[in-house]
Amino acid sequence: MKALKKLLHARELSSVLFLIALFLVVGLINPSFLNSSNVSACFNTSVVYTLVAVGMAFTLFIGEIDVSVGANLGIVATVVGSMLRDGAPVPTAILVGILIGAAIGLINGWGVAIMHAPSLIYTLGVCGILRGLMYLYTNGAWVENLPKDFKDFSAVTAVGDLTVYYCAAVVLTIVIWILTTKTRHGRYFIAVGDNANGAQLVGIPATRVKVIAYVICGVLSAVAGIIFTSRIGFVTADSGDGYEMKAIAACVLGGISLVGGVGSVIGAAVGAVIMASISYLLVFMGFSSNYDNAITGIILIVIVVVDALIQHRSVVKNYHARLLARVSPDQAVAGATEKGVE
Amino acid sequence: MAANSKTPAASKEAAPKKKGLTFLKSGQASWNLMLVALFVLEFVIFGAANPKFLKPQLLLTSIDDSMSVMIISLFVTFVMITGGIDIQVASLVGLTSIIIGVTWQDFGFSILQSCLLAIVVAAACGALSGFFIAYCGVQAMVVTLGGSFLYSGIALLVSTLSSTASYQGIGNFPDEFKVIGQYKIGGVIPLQIVIYIVLLVIAFILLHKTKYGRKIFLCGVNPSAAEFSGINSRRVIMSTYILSGIAAAIAGIILTSYLGTAKSDLGSDLTMDIVTAVVLGGTLSTGGKGSVFGTALSSLVIALLRFGLPLCFKIGTQYLDIPVGILLVAIIVGRSVASHQSVGTTVKSLFFRKDAQKA
Amino acid sequence: MADTNEGVSSYEIKDALLSVRNICKAFGSNSVLKGVSLDLMPGEAIALVGGNGAGKSTLMKIIMGIYTQDCGDIYIEGRKIEHNSTREALSNSTYMVPQEPMLFPNMTVRENVEIGFAEKPSELDHRLEQVMTEIGWHFDLERKASTLSIAEQGMVEILRGIMRRSKVLILDEPTSALAFDEVKSLFKVIESLKAKGIGIIYITHRLTEVFDIADRVSVMCDGIIAMQGKVSEFTRDDLIRGLLPPDTKKREAKSAPRPVSEIDYNAQPVLELQDFTGYGFSHVNLKIYPGEMVGLAGVVGAGRTEMATTIFGRDKVLGGKVLLDGKDITGESTRQVIEEGINYVSEDRFANGIFRIRDVAENTTAAILNGKRLGSFFLNRAEEDKISQSYVDNFHTKVTGLDQEVGSLSGGNQQKIIIARAFASEPRLVILDEPTRGIDAAARGDVYAVLQELRKTGVSILLISSDMEEVVELADRAVTMFQGRINHEFKKGEITQDNLMAASFGVYHEKAGVKVAS
Repeated sequence: MKALKKLLHARELSSVLFLIALFLVVGLINPSFLNSSNVSACFNTSVVYTLVAVGMAFTLFIGEIDVSVGANLGIVATVVGSMLRDGAPVPTAILVGILIGAAIGLINGWGVAIMHAPSLIYTLGVCGILRGLMYLYTNGAWVENLPKDFKDFSAVTAVGDLTVYYCAAVVLTIVIWILTTKTRHGRYFIAVGDNANGAQLVGIPATRVKVIAYVICGVLSAVAGIIFTSRIGFVTADSGDGYEMKAIAACVLGGISLVGGVGSVIGAAVGAVIMASISYLLVFMGFSSNYDNAITGIILIVIVVVDALIQHRSVVKNYHARLLARVSPDQAVAGATEKGVE
Repeated sequence: MAANSKTPAASKEAAPKKKGLTFLKSGQASWNLMLVALFVLEFVIFGAANPKFLKPQLLLTSIDDSMSVMIISLFVTFVMITGGIDIQVASLVGLTSIIIGVTWQDFGFSILQSCLLAIVVAAACGALSGFFIAYCGVQAMVVTLGGSFLYSGIALLVSTLSSTASYQGIGNFPDEFKVIGQYKIGGVIPLQIVIYIVLLVIAFILLHKTKYGRKIFLCGVNPSAAEFSGINSRRVIMSTYILSGIAAAIAGIILTSYLGTAKSDLGSDLTMDIVTAVVLGGTLSTGGKGSVFGTALSSLVIALLRFGLPLCFKIGTQYLDIPVGILLVAIIVGRSVASHQSVGTTVKSLFFRKDAQKA
Repeated sequence: MADTNEGVSSYEIKDALLSVRNICKAFGSNSVLKGVSLDLMPGEAIALVGGNGAGKSTLMKIIMGIYTQDCGDIYIEGRKIEHNSTREALSNSTYMVPQEPMLFPNMTVRENVEIGFAEKPSELDHRLEQVMTEIGWHFDLERKASTLSIAEQGMVEILRGIMRRSKVLILDEPTSALAFDEVKSLFKVIESLKAKGIGIIYITHRLTEVFDIADRVSVMCDGIIAMQGKVSEFTRDDLIRGLLPPDTKKREAKSAPRPVSEIDYNAQPVLELQDFTGYGFSHVNLKIYPGEMVGLAGVVGAGRTEMATTIFGRDKVLGGKVLLDGKDITGESTRQVIEEGINYVSEDRFANGIFRIRDVAENTTAAILNGKRLGSFFLNRAEEDKISQSYVDNFHTKVTGLDQEVGSLSGGNQQKIIIARAFASEPRLVILDEPTRGIDAAARGDVYAVLQELRKTGVSILLISSDMEEVVELADRAVTMFQGRINHEFKKGEITQDNLMAASFGVYHEKAGVKVAS
């Protein structure tokens, strides 16, 4: 009972319902959509978005942002791809990729948490540098001729039509969700974003928490980059472009507030599925995928505006409530006033 | 956190700082001087490396290539002075371009009507985002991010209304339109530059010589204090997004004319250059400080960088994001360091400093 | 009645839960604590009372490790605390329930209470249930903190404190937002905590509560403990006396003979409030006459600032009227109110006053950008400089030039510029909210001189101040606000610090007043 009530209050739930409704509506318009392979395809295509969005969620939890995730993904994909092409063993390549991601996260965390640079502009700059480095590394050429096994693994399914990658991403997301909601230290991310001042009072090391959030974000983007390479099978010079936007949109769709302190990685994952599905679904609804960006933009704006208005109202309401509570209801005091003032 | 960086009390007793960094946050004049020095340095280095760089003809062309960034950054400066940011302008360039192309080619508008419509649409897009930011209190970053999706998406949809496939671009514009981007006065000075100078003067007067400009600064430093002074800070903030939208439209018109084709994704990669130009120009990302002149200088510095590096050092244009990115990161970190008393300041002292001063 | 300092020495450090010795703290040149000693024994509640700026909050923040003291020692259960930090304080079982609750608004009650503990969640849940049963509070633990009333938020904070097995619990004005029955239930909890040997420091503005809940009372004034002792040995009047600065008499004598300008009380009032009601204040009736300076005294949270800002168009009017020269201006926007002729100088100079990184001239003229005086579209810099310079000269503001950033000025000079901004709009009435808070004595004198000067121009002034001495010195008439209502009015001759203080704390007796021993 309690669990049910909790579930009903969760912001993620509305995202899940939205996703289900989306599928049903599409199914009504075009019944041929509603089969396992189509629905699974929506999930499977979302795997890269899911990982990036979950990483992004950490930076949003603490009230910051990281727009370098797309470039991070791209550079990791490039490096891992070229290593594999040149015959490096898969574990080595993966390890290198993850280390690169962690390093990028550390650089971002250093700038934002320790040097206090505004996160959006700082990570925008880092994004530019990474993009340039990526060109420098590849000379603008595509990374192709990847080992067949590596590419084929992306099609291996685990549960029904769901790929191993997606299932692994789901498991990872759930593990992270448990860690961030059920453990003592895991909650610190949300706490720092929710009320940094209050976090201080209960003894939470805010700077360290912020740096760790960026490192997690960097690592997850790197993992996304590796899976991206495997799924696509080649790496173009602009790989990962725009993923930061999609990831932010996914997080917002999943109920994560951009002012920090609200939301969960489950929400980010669900939002990622919605984001990834939109272009796929449009096709089934008879629209061209040209509507993709416009619809994404509208959804994003509507959600943040409604959210902001609700938040604003509750803040004002609380402020007024506490002011009203201060006024003495005692009419005798008012009576004294009249006596005092002629 | 954003809210915190606005705390006006942040550095009341700004104790003596490391000398080397003070220039990062002090006077606009000395900052502009530094930009001029940077500018001259570029000339010296690039000129020495490749004398071709110094040819006026080539130089002026290089400026043409960066015209969009130069124009838009002038008015994004307004936005950033209010403490906001506008990353949707890049998408408005494409939207403008495709609206001109489609309405002119397929709807039978005159080219003038098309351009006017494009400007009105871009202004409306800016107004919509500005409204959400100023009146609904949503962070500028998110709204303009959503805006960049929405407006580039609309641009794509508009392009499907055309009989021409979107990847081809709409061309064959009348000569009187091509003049805007391609005509050179006396065969030397591009008309674009004249338009830019006019816009520069307008922006300068608006920001530094009018009451409206003053209100922009005040709203950027402390919107609450501005409201207590009877300034309608919401309206002021919203208006800056309209201006940046119009600037994007003008840039879109010039770019379309210059290239001779209208495409929906024109200008989509300009965001970082615009933000860098504004920040490098001395505008505080937290708002309240900035100058049109600084932005103009820094956008020139970036334009020369993007022109000179490939020409003189054979560096591929794709790598140019590295120096621009480094420039942005270095400036933004340098500024934060300069405005914090000690680098290792813990969050704790950040938070309670305000109380400390009140007590 | 207890002697001022003897109480301290009769307790031994080793017996005390918490004892602080000779704590000093200065912020810049502003000395806030001047050697404060305090002991808290197990199972007792000490009430800490004092006016605004007496140093109570600073002392508590030092105990919590948020600030570090300049000198003096803190002992917990006889052990000296070496490195004063928040984590240290928490691990030493000290917990402060701040005046403004510091909950995580987006977390549930359970998460809020349980965050930061090393125990297993199941154990915590169990213990939380136990604690709640014990003290008889029952929360829906899954509610979001942002949906809680302020009273409930305060209670959650107290729960946090108990859950931390705090031996020392600091409550900073816990009842300021509580309703009557909630106060009762809080007091019950405090009693039960005391019975368990927990020591409580109870900061309050409500003197009646001192007698209801505390065992001992310490009165802080101007950075020292003016008196302390058993509650049973005090009367309300004793407390009032302790709240006043020690050299009150001397200063009053000094400021007594001031030429009172003639005020025509038969003229039409400049400002008239009729049953004016809004958030934080209720049914306020007040008239201010031409050229008059009216003092509005009260404690923080009495509703004075809210009343002023509501007149100024910053918040919604709930009832009543505001008349300026007989014209109804109720509910107009800030811009209109300024144009009608009222200006307001905020108590929070940093949040609502200065434009820190803009220069003197820009700050001075901010409120007249809407009119035509600085041009209709283009900004008339010459006029702006003229106006700014005239105020700099008249107010003797120390600036290096009109282009100096105000953030680099001292507090007093910043304040002069904000006051200049208000007067530059050529108002009929200026509301000054705590105009001398946080500025040093010399600058305070300057500001007073400026105000006296301005009154000669015929402007009326409503002076909101928690500094009673200031009201005594400046006001022609004074009113006090208590819990959102104006509860007393004092004519020039009746304005004394004792009267104001008593009325501000809601304990003024109409006939007797409070007499200071001569």
